[in-house]
Amino acid sequence: MTISTYLRALGLFYRTVAPFAVVFSLLIFAVAAVGPFPNWPLPLTLGLVLTKLSTFSVIWYLSEQLRPHQYWLYLNLHIAPWQLWAGVIVADTLLFSAAVLLLHAVLP
Amino acid sequence: MSAASSHVLEADGIQLAFGERRILSDVYLRVQTGQVVGLLGRNGCGKSTLLQTVFGGRHLPDASVRVNGRRVVPAYRQPGLLNYLPQVPLLPERLTVAEAARMFGVNAQQALDGFPDLSAQLSRRIGELSGGTTRLVQVLLLLHANTQFSLFDEPFSGVMPVHVETLADLFQQAKARKGILLTDHRYAEVLPLCDVVYLLQNGRLEQLPSDPVPALRDRGYLAS
Repeated sequence: MTISTYLRALGLFYRTVAPFAVVFSLLIFAVAAVGPFPNWPLPLTLGLVLTKLSTFSVIWYLSEQLRPHQYWLYLNLHIAPWQLWAGVIVADTLLFSAAVLLLHAVLP
Repeated sequence: MSAASSHVLEADGIQLAFGERRILSDVYLRVQTGQVVGLLGRNGCGKSTLLQTVFGGRHLPDASVRVNGRRVVPAYRQPGLLNYLPQVPLLPERLTVAEAARMFGVNAQQALDGFPDLSAQLSRRIGELSGGTTRLVQVLLLLHANTQFSLFDEPFSGVMPVHVETLADLFQQAKARKGILLTDHRYAEVLPLCDVVYLLQNGRLEQLPSDPVPALRDRGYLAS
């Protein structure tokens, strides 16, 4: 497996997981904005990152239930499921952190 | 096509049971370069499970898969060793045929060469193709990929007869450089194609004689 194959496969896989990831990210933002303990704009803290990371267990479960055959393509490219999930978790957490930093910078 | 060195894929110790029902019982399977090996059996007898276990996509505790005597579990992690076509769709609908070929390192034009109507569809998305055409494209890409072995679960499913004949010829050509293991209920097409035929029945895998039809009748796979 080359890096370019992995990145291409990761991009394909991420697109299938992204809707769930976006929903959970928006949920975290919504709770921070209008929840019982408003904290808006959100500061990027370890607790926030851990909260974001914890959502991946639910995303993984939903993905396994809704697309039980999704891995065959990637296995044919010599990529194990854990390698896909590791990439997705890193990429999505970085995107989420970037969004938090951006909001913090532009909102009053 | 350059002459390929010979490789032997062996799998054994494969056991699977659902409660009291034994699906696979200490199966031994062998495929080598230059062979098309057919795997026949009734619905639900464990053919797909066996292919998936050999490929490594399904983990069974005692399963041993070896290539040239070297253990390769899970086999799919070894680049260039083998690929596998499952019964379910393999390629995402949004991918174009050309992009899919690129992912597998296959020259798309060359892979679709024997099918002039397919060559014009390189830029189309998989989701825009008919079910039979999608199946055919998937088979062709895996067949042309540079692997030592290819495993196909129902490669002829949904493919129209005129393409099945061409595809069978391509299997015969491809076996010069790779070992092929396939399972499909279209026995009329499969049997002439195969150098070795296995029948999976009651959890056991039996290698049939060179004329397998009488044995298939005796064992109830074909009507007498």
